[in-house]
Order: sequence, then structure tokens, then C-alpha cells
Amino acid sequence: MSMIKCCFEPVELPEFVETVVQKCTDPGCCCGCCSALRPRYKRLVDNIFPVNPEDGLVKSNMEKLTFYSLSSPEKLDRIGEYLYQKATKDINRKRYKLVEIAMEAMDLLLMACHAQTLNLFVESFLRMVQKLLEDSNPNLQIMATNSFVKFANIEEDTPSYHRRYDFFISKFSSMCHGNNENIELRDSIRLAGIKGLQGVIRKTVSDDLVENIWDRQHMEKIVPSLLFNMQNGPLTATEDATPTSPPVLAEAVLRELVSRASFGHIRSVLKPLLTHLDRHELWVPNQFAIHTFRIVMISIQPQYSYTVVETLMQHLDSNIKSSPHTRTSLAVVLSKIIAIAAGESVGPSALDIINNLLTHLRTSVSSMKEVSPEESQYQEALINALGEFANHHPDYQKIEIMLFIMNTVPDLSKKGKGDQMLQNILLKSLLKVGTQYRTASFEKAFPASFLQPLLKMARAPHVPTRIIVMQIFQALLDRHQNQGILSNVTVKNYPTLSLESASRSDIIFTHKYGANIMQALIEGMALSDRIDPLASSYNTAALMIVEMACSETVQEFILFILGIQELATTSNDLGSYHKCNLHSIAISLLMLLGRVTGINNIIEYAQKIIDARKEEAPYFLPPMLDSKKTTQKYSTNLPHLMIDKVTLTECLQNAGMDSGRVQTGNPYSLSQTDNPAHRTSWVEVSSMPSRPSATDLSIYTDADSVNSSPGVLKKTLAPELNFDAMKRALAEPTESAKKEAREKQMQIVRTFRESNFDDLVRRTEPKHELIQNRLNELFNSLASERQITQTETKNTTTQKPVYENNFPELFYY
Amino acid sequence: MEDYKFLFKVVLVGNAGVGKTCLVRRFTQGLFPPGQGATIGVDFMIKTVEVEGEKIKLQIWDTAGQERFRSITQSYYRSAHALILVYDISCQPTFDCLPDWLREIQEYANSKVLKILVGNKTDRDDREIPTQIGEEFAKQHDMYFLETSAKEAENVERLFYEIAAELIEQARSKEPISQHSRSTADSIGLSSLGSKANYLSQSGCCSSLSSHST
Ligand SMILES: Nc1nc2c(ncn2[C@@H]2O[C@H](COP(=O)(O)OP(=O)(O)OP(=O)(O)O)[C@@H](O)[C@H]2O)c(=O)[nH]1
Ligand SMILES: [Mg+2]
Repeated sequence: MSMIKCCFEPVELPEFVETVVQKCTDPGCCCGCCSALRPRYKRLVDNIFPVNPEDGLVKSNMEKLTFYSLSSPEKLDRIGEYLYQKATKDINRKRYKLVEIAMEAMDLLLMACHAQTLNLFVESFLRMVQKLLEDSNPNLQIMATNSFVKFANIEEDTPSYHRRYDFFISKFSSMCHGNNENIELRDSIRLAGIKGLQGVIRKTVSDDLVENIWDRQHMEKIVPSLLFNMQNGPLTATEDATPTSPPVLAEAVLRELVSRASFGHIRSVLKPLLTHLDRHELWVPNQFAIHTFRIVMISIQPQYSYTVVETLMQHLDSNIKSSPHTRTSLAVVLSKIIAIAAGESVGPSALDIINNLLTHLRTSVSSMKEVSPEESQYQEALINALGEFANHHPDYQKIEIMLFIMNTVPDLSKKGKGDQMLQNILLKSLLKVGTQYRTASFEKAFPASFLQPLLKMARAPHVPTRIIVMQIFQALLDRHQNQGILSNVTVKNYPTLSLESASRSDIIFTHKYGANIMQALIEGMALSDRIDPLASSYNTAALMIVEMACSETVQEFILFILGIQELATTSNDLGSYHKCNLHSIAISLLMLLGRVTGINNIIEYAQKIIDARKEEAPYFLPPMLDSKKTTQKYSTNLPHLMIDKVTLTECLQNAGMDSGRVQTGNPYSLSQTDNPAHRTSWVEVSSMPSRPSATDLSIYTDADSVNSSPGVLKKTLAPELNFDAMKRALAEPTESAKKEAREKQMQIVRTFRESNFDDLVRRTEPKHELIQNRLNELFNSLASERQITQTETKNTTTQKPVYENNFPELFYY
Repeated sequence: MEDYKFLFKVVLVGNAGVGKTCLVRRFTQGLFPPGQGATIGVDFMIKTVEVEGEKIKLQIWDTAGQERFRSITQSYYRSAHALILVYDISCQPTFDCLPDWLREIQEYANSKVLKILVGNKTDRDDREIPTQIGEEFAKQHDMYFLETSAKEAENVERLFYEIAAELIEQARSKEPISQHSRSTADSIGLSSLGSKANYLSQSGCCSSLSSHST
């Protein structure tokens, strides 16, 4: 039928004149008779085909055809159409060599075309490509793809809006899944498919008016096709200049695609990507998922990287019912890429991410009665993600992050096991962030609004909680990597200790908040005789000494050490092992203090006590005693082996140092009447030490002293005021009068005392406000998620003055 | 100048192993491939048929039945003019999955797509799904119905020719109004494939036709 058709094609007369005896060289041509009547362009086209197909394109005639096309561009569309018709016939007759020549000719014409004439030719060119792609012969498909790629690389100045790439995307995606049993051929087909997709992407991506490549129907083909090829490849980053294997090329195309995605299109890529990972079960194990997301994060325009994190988080949301393994894997992927996003997400978006992670933690905790190992792995992965995220933020933001986390830690009055778990999990995340923070100044590391809840939790009845809180302190206190060394309670020298003399601001901080911390430490030490928490408290105290002790602050530490000893000697509720351990801690700290401050008198005095104890009561020296392992009875009433306040005063005096504070001040003691019930309750215990002094400036003055010891601070004798406190209250004015050298500090100190808490928070943390509104917003949403109980509401009222401006809903959960 | 009058896109779906690829190869190549491996992703075949003197080009997209390829295969539903939903008459589970497939079709395909339910492997003597059950299911869900055997070449030609014929009818039936509605025709080329009611009697070959009341 086609042969007949050829004969009846309408003759174009203008061409007719030139032709006389030109013979048709195409052996397939039907009859010589009509060749004389053929238009010139047809003859030119016919002539490019050799007599013997194996000889390939007749180059010289091709040049003629090209020249003709350039000089008569209006003929281009007909030339294209004619070539297409010829190729169609040849395909039907399976004369593939001739098809190849036709395609080659079209390629050459395409390259020779000028931009303004291109459109005339492209339609038939693309039809030709499609025709070849439709054939089941893989070689034709590969050839067609190569031609398509050539076309894709041409810049057209007038896009053709009606041109559609549906078929190409569908077919190339299908080729990407090529499954020929001949592996080499299979890979060639897949490579062609990937190249073809790359071509479509290049052709369409820059121009939204042409086929919108970002449409779901296209992305759902392109993305899985690329991933399908990538997942069979190496997971190490390959930076091949000329990608030769399907996985490598697929990866390169994915990079290109992602890098071209604008904000509105990122999700179009990510959604099929996530679906593919789901469907092909590529989350567990998650190497491929990590690999893929790294590629996405590296390729994406940096300002959008946050969206990737967000999308991944949403995916985690939707996987809430999946196995902990899957969730863990997802969280791990998150933790691997979150760092890349961290640099770009600041302020509110950073908090969004953190809030989301915390919400997942909370969900994980609340959904489980008993935590399975898998579930805790998941929680661990989330915490790591949080840590990773924080790690890549500047330090001032880490503080904000810590503050934020701290504010989501459930209140202490909660009795539920779930809340305890949640509290520990959140504290662990806090620790994770804290570990990443590099403390320069304590003032910055411990903003008041952060320190206060931390100190409350340092008195938590639950041992693991206290240990984590101690670890947080240690992480933030330890500026010289001494934490590990000081985890060992000993009176011996720490030879590898790294020391730096305390700076002015350290001293100010010590005066401002040191007492509060030490007070909390003592109260923590009173709570348990177990070695772990005690060693942990010791570690914190020792780090404080190493970081803060100097001639200006040594007296405060002495009072602290004496306080530990006094706790051991005067408290009736403590067991004998507990007491022994407290004595060990006290003497060890004293030795350390002597060494750090370089006051030899103290070292010598401490050594004397140590020697005596070695003789008489080695159980008053480290190592600490484990109440579970020892049953021996120890005599603890040995006053002559105690550290003596008067002797220490003399030590200071002999060293030419001020000793007034030690002389007149009282050792630290537990803040309330020694009612254990009170002591262990977070709510009742004031975060404020009950021993205000010149240097002891509670920042909590107006905060939560209402029901603890308001009288002390206001210097009115409240009925519950005990003798010690009275004494101290009286001693105070003289105390400050004496310390003229401290006048300057006092000024600062006064500011702190006289300002209300809101002002303080604002003053200490100016950057804080930036995120304040956001915090409020988030807290509001958090609060509404959690149940409000009567007791908590009560707490709120007592604490309200502090937070009502900043965190109105903070204490509702 | 095209070498065909109509181009129709036909997509085959259904559980893995029901014989989709065998049906396509029987139709396009006239053979029953021994040891046909599972399809990966989507396969493509083209076949030009002549119906009522018109050349019709059928683009056939043969999708993988395996779960893991579901996301990519779904993306091919949208542009389909006809969807062939295949089950294996000797395998109850492939029939039981039909509602799931219909949900997917509902979600991803054009709402007016021509749907054909095919019970394949009639040559097998361990039939689990009686013809009538398949027929009723098709009727309920507004689908054409046919039983085939790719192995014995039974009803395979007929299946595709009937689809072609039906699609031509639909295309023609909307031609008179196409003057003003052409511009709104969507990417599938035929904007309306919905009204099949008129052609039921003509295409008597399809053994069961639904009432199209919905
Ligand atoms: N007896 C019989 N066996 C058939 C018939 N059609 C297909 N099979 C067999 O069924 C098996 C699966 O056929 P395929 O065509 O690969 O099935 P498919 O639906 O394409 O499967 P996927 O590509 O995995 O979705 C093969 O072993 C075929 O030999 C048939 O009509 N009769
Ligand atoms: Mg198959």
C-alpha cells in the first residue's frame, strides 16, 4: 500500500523544472518513472542513501542536502516529513541500516539548522525519534535516544508550547527498567533510558510553559526510574567525569534534577522518592536511603534544604505505626542529613525541627508501657538527630535550643512512669546538645532561665535523672576536657589535669550562681548513697573547682566542702556508708581545691587528714563504699579526722589571703528543715539556697521563693525562719561592708537582685527574644496536647510571676 | 501524514503472574513465551490494527504486578484510554485483589477510562473462579468482561480488537461536538470515554457488559 501511495503523492510543480534525468538511487523506490517528476528536495534526500545500505550515509550528498536546507529553510519541514516517511517504510521492512541513515541525516540537519528555522524541522524529527522508540528493536531505541539527547541539548529560542513529551518520559522510564537477559544490552538500554530522561529534563525544566516536568505524573516516573538504577549501584560517592554505568548516570541525573528544583517543586521530587524507598523497602537497612538523601541535600539549592528535613519528618509522622526498625532507620537518615540543613535553617524553622523531633520522642515514650530495645534505639536515633542538628548551629543558638528542650521537660510533680521516662529522654537530648556546645563563658552557657529548671532537676528523686542532669552540668562546665579525668573520685593528684586560671567573668559567674549550683549539688548528694550518683555529683563539683576556683572564690568552695562534711556528720537520716562516701568526696574536693588554687597550706592540711584517715578510718577516703557489697559496720563519729573550719581559715590567713567569708559564713546545708519528704519533692524545695550572703545572690528572688523562704531575702523575720538563717541575715550587711574590693561586683550583683526575673532573663540573654514569640506559639500547641491536672495548675499560680510574660503556658504540662 | 487514524493507549494491570505479559506478547508477536520472567517496571509494545478499514495504533503499556513497582506503574494509568485488569481464573487470590486494583484505578486513572476485566488462563483445568463470578464482578463495577488464554491464543485478538473498536466508537461519538470541545480535550487525546452504553450491542463479542447506570 505504501508503494502505491508513493506514486500518488502530489507533485510539487516548482521543483519539477530542474529535474530532467535524475535517477532514483534508492533501490526501494517504486518506479523510476516518477523520479523525473520528483521535487528536488526529495531527490536530494533520496541521494543520501547508498545503493548498498552497509556503505552508510553518502556524505557528499548529505552535504548537498544540508546546503539546500540552509538556503531554502522553508523546505525543512517537508524534508523532515519525507525522511520520516522513508524511515517508517524501512522500519516496517526491517531495513534497519537505512533507518539508521535516515536518523543520522536528521541529526545532521538538526545540528545545521538555525534556531529560527528549527521549529519547522523538529516536529518530524521528534516523530522520527518516537517511531524508532516504539519499535521493539533495542538498537533502534538506543539510536533514537541518542538523537533525542542531541536535540535536547539544542537551545531553542522559541519554545514550542504544543510539543508534548509524555511519550518520551513514559518510554524512557520504561527503558530505565530494561530487563534484557543480555546484561550488556540491558545496561545499554537502561543507560539510554536515563540519558533520555536527562534530555527531557534539560529540555523542559527551564521553561514552565512547555510541558511541566514537575507534574506528578512525570515525577512519579522519572524519580523511581532513577532510583531503581541507583539502588543497584555502589553506595560510595562517585564523581565520574563520564558516567558509564546506569547507577552512576542515574545518580548524576538525580543531582541535576534536584539542583534545578525550585521551592515549589521540591516536594514533587521528594514524594515519589519517599514512596519508592517505602515500596522497595529501602529503609531497613538504610544505607541506600542515606546515600540518596545525602545526594538530595548536597544537590538542592541550599535555601530549600530545610524542606527536605521537614518532608522527611512528615514521612516519619506517617510511619508512626511502622515497626521501630523502620522508624529508627528513618530517624537515622534524618540525623545524617539534618546537619546539612542546620546551616540554613535559623530561628523559627530550627525550632520547628526541634519541636518536631521532641514530639516524636514524646510520642514514642507515651505509646509504650515498656520500652523495647528497638523502641529505645529509635529514641536514641531521634536524640542523635537532635544532637546532630544542634551541633551545626552556632553556640548561641545551641543555648536557645537547650532552653527550648528544657522547657518541654515535664514538670517534676508528675508521678507517672511515662513522664519520668520522657523527662529522662528529653534530658538526654539536652545532654546531647550540651555536649556539642563549646562553653566559652559560663554566663552564656547557663542563662538564668535554663539554670533554674536544671537546678530543680538536680534534686530529682529519680537517680538516672540526677545523673543526666549532672552530665549536662559537666558538659557545659568542662572547658578543658577534664571531665573524664575527674570522674574518678580520688585524693591523689590528677596528673593530666588541664588548668587555666579563672577569668573575671568566671569569677562573676561564680559569685552570681556558683552558690546555687553548689547548693543543688549538696542536696543531690543527700538523696542517695549509691556510688554512681555520688560520683557524678563529685565530677560536677570537681569541674567547678577546676574551672572556677581561684583566690577570689576559694572561700565559697571551702564552705561548700565543709557543707558536704556537715551533711555527713549532722544528718540523722543518712546511712553510715552514705556518710563515709560524703567524707571521701569532701576530702577529695579539698585536696583538689588546694592543688587548683595552689594554696600549699591547704594541700598540706588535707594531706595530714588523709594520712590520719589512712591509719584510723580508711573508709573516709576514696574509693567510695558500695552499700550493696559491704556489710561492715563503720564508726562515723570521728571528730578528729574531720576537716576543721578554723584550721582552714588559718591556712588562708597564713597564705596571706582573705578568710573573712569562711570565718563568718556557714557551711552549706540542706535548704529546708530536714524533712526527707520535703527534700525529695521537687515542688516544695526551693531552688534558692537558704543561706543568702553577700555573694549568694539568688536570681530566684521573686520567682519561687514565695513558699520557701521569702523572709530571708526580704530581711523580715518570717515565722519559719530558722536560727542559721537569722544569723546569716544579720551577718550580711557587715559582710558586704567588709568587702570593699568587691564593690564593683556588688553593683552587678545588685542589679540582679533588684531586677525582677523577666528583666534578668532579658538582660542575660538578649538574643533570646528573637525566638520568644515562636516559643510561645510552640508551647501553646504543646500545652494543648498535654493534659492539665489540678496540681500542676496550682504550681503554675505560684510560679506565674516569673513566666507570665515569656512562657505563659509553660507550666501547664 | 500519519500512518494511522487513531492512537490509543492501553494499560494492563493485575497481580504478578496472572499473564499480562503473555497476553501482550501473544497479541503483538503471536507467540506464547516460554518461561516468561516477571516484568520489571513497565514494558512497552506497539501494534497497529485495522478496524473497520481504519488503521489504529495501540500503544500497550504492560505494568509489573509486583508490589514494589506499584508507585511507578500507577503513574501510567492516567493517560490510558483503556485499562485491562487481569486476573488468573485458576488463582483465587488474584481475583480477591480486584477491589484493591479498582481502588487504585479509581485513584490514578482518568474517571472515564474504558475498563476491561480479563480472566486469563482458561486453558487450565484447575479453575477456581467460575466465569459467572467474574462476569458479575465486572457488571457490578462497570467493566467489560472477557476470559482469555494467552497460551491457547483464545480471545486475545478479540480482546484488543474489541477495545480498539469500542474506543473508535467513543472517539467518533464525540466528534460532532468536538468542534467546540477540542480545546478542552485533555492529554489523553479523547476527552470523553464515558458513554459506552450505545455501543454495547455492537460489540457483542464482549461477553458481559455493565449497565452504566452509575
Ligand atoms: N496455562 C497458562 N499459563 C499462562 C497463561 N498466561 C500466562 N501464563 C503463565 O503465567 C506465568 C506468568 O505470566 P506473565 O505473563 O509473566 O505474568 P504477568 O502478569 O506479566 O506477571 P508480572 O509481570 O510479574 O506482573 C508464566 O509462567 C506464564 O507461562 C495462560 O493463558 N495459560
Ligand atoms: Mg509481566
